Amino acid sequence: MRDEIAALQEAMEGQGYIADPAIATALFLSREMRRPLLIEGDAGVGKTEIAKVLARLLETELIRLQCYEGLDVSTALYEWNYQRQMLRLRLAEDEGKSGDEIEDLIFGRRYLLERPLLRAITRIEGPPVLLIDEIDRADDAFEAFLLEVLSDFQVTIPELGTIRAEHVPHVILTSNRTREIGDALRRRCLYLYIEHPTLEKEVRILRARVPEAGERLSDEIARFMAALRRRRLSKAPGVAETIDWAQALLRLHRAHLDRETVEATLGCVLKDHYDLRELSGGELEAVLTEATAG
Amino acid sequence: MSAPPQDLVLHLARFASALRGRGVAVSLSDEADGLAALTLIDLGDRDEVRRALRTALKIRPRDTAAFEELFAALWSAREEAGSPNPPLQAPRLQGPARPRPAGRPPGRRESEPGVIPEGGEEPGYSPEAVLRRKSFEEYSPADLAAMERLLARLALRLATRPSRRRVPVRGRGEADLRRSFRRAVAHGGEFLTLSRRARPIERPRLVVLCDTSGSMDPHTRFLLTFVLALRQVARRSEIFAFNTALVRLTPWIRAGRIDLTLERLALQVPDWSGGTKIGECLAEFVEHYLDELVDGATVVIILSDGLDRGDVQPLAGAMRAIRARARRVLWLNPLAGDARYEPTARAMAAAFPYVDRLLPAQNLE
Repeated sequence: MRDEIAALQEAMEGQGYIADPAIATALFLSREMRRPLLIEGDAGVGKTEIAKVLARLLETELIRLQCYEGLDVSTALYEWNYQRQMLRLRLAEDEGKSGDEIEDLIFGRRYLLERPLLRAITRIEGPPVLLIDEIDRADDAFEAFLLEVLSDFQVTIPELGTIRAEHVPHVILTSNRTREIGDALRRRCLYLYIEHPTLEKEVRILRARVPEAGERLSDEIARFMAALRRRRLSKAPGVAETIDWAQALLRLHRAHLDRETVEATLGCVLKDHYDLRELSGGELEAVLTEATAG
Repeated sequence: MSAPPQDLVLHLARFASALRGRGVAVSLSDEADGLAALTLIDLGDRDEVRRALRTALKIRPRDTAAFEELFAALWSAREEAGSPNPPLQAPRLQGPARPRPAGRPPGRRESEPGVIPEGGEEPGYSPEAVLRRKSFEEYSPADLAAMERLLARLALRLATRPSRRRVPVRGRGEADLRRSFRRAVAHGGEFLTLSRRARPIERPRLVVLCDTSGSMDPHTRFLLTFVLALRQVARRSEIFAFNTALVRLTPWIRAGRIDLTLERLALQVPDWSGGTKIGECLAEFVEHYLDELVDGATVVIILSDGLDRGDVQPLAGAMRAIRARARRVLWLNPLAGDARYEPTARAMAAAFPYVDRLLPAQNLE
């Protein structure tokens, strides 16, 4: 293994993120090749966390764009501050300025509201980490627009002209795969798919994130989660749920898993009505046995 | 064992072409990315090469199995430096690649090797079957034409929804401050008019799964008419037929004369009017098509009477997977038109919790 990749993996662990070699390799390549990294995987496997850890490692700013259906340019890129423009316009008229002068005045950078994408390419202090979260929630039109920004790292504002990136940001896109990301955008990026963690990895994550939980409880929780994910579930619980649950159990002062405790706190883990209903009764007993045996 | 670059390019090109042979979409630009990645890593570390290629060639989870298999072959070919013909050169077209229903020889349902139509075509014989009133075959051409118009209207309602995005409109809609201000600036700060915006009507994708088994026979023609009407209002719709096997019909459907299309379809669907295995067919849909065709804006419509002689467990699992991904799941059931009908057929009962709406499809009232 390249030393840089091993070092990156270690540094991420130092930040509390237990990365496997696949994650470290992908992040390393994305940085070296200066390409956006598209991370896919089920909800809660730690996609967003990678961007946060990267920002901490590089000691730079994390700029986040949360995607949603109907997201448009004025929320993602820029917007003029109309109220201030209007105010300035009235003043300028009273001062008796000419039309051209007024135009130059009110279409200046001072009246431009920077949204995450513009902020990411105009940051002067150095390249930030740009997190484009849940890109699968945005629609095709936005995806096409994003492709353009990520290809050239420049933005054209009709009244101002073209703004080029001061530094090319480290871009991380995440997707829960509620829909397929278009081929063009996927080609533009490097790609990483994160699976649910193995038993060993999950135990290490628990040790790192919830050290108070102790050896026995961590082991049982990790085994319980692994047994759960082997079942057919609508929403398989992610690492985020594991950590929440461990913290909840600690608050309740539980040192190990028993039926009563699990039933009372199962809502931390399973967040789907059908899943909860199906796991009550005998099925829960079976999972619990798998978790506490051995 | 760092290979000379020329060798590397060759190996990578072969590997990419083998992947393409297995139905994994790898473009030239992906290959270039793969090469760039390989120059950055330790070529002697097999796992690192594998991980780097997965990232640079953008291998999705559904293609992982093919990738791992071919990678193992690639690596062993590189180990034996003398081997002139690495196993990569003859990619096989079978395996986990998508099934190609369109490639099936048209005609004879008996010629379907994997699907043996189970004997004793009794699925039409069931207590519910007695409830059926009349076949749509009995309608006159004028009735059919009127019905087609009605269907088109119904299809339009099912296939549209307001968009989340807003576009400028004239007259009505909420005030659009951004545009209003912009125009006011152009007029020296005077608001001469107020710009407005509203949500346009969007047409989400429809995925229609149509049961063509024996118990559905009297209704199939009517249902397919409906499907074709849907196709005309929602162009991005996808259509599947199922009975004992699942067939993607989309490539076979052309706008135009419905009866002609029906004839063509009848040739494509194996075991037309045979038995049903709803669960297995839907499970196959989930495995091969769900990720690609169904997203949060997709409406899934299932046309079936829910009379199945198979195990109901796969059906419940498949319905749940579909429900978790689609915007809405509608089930059109010809038997549901009868007031006495309750979703008691075992399959229907298993699927019912995951259906947004169960609609009668027997007539249009």
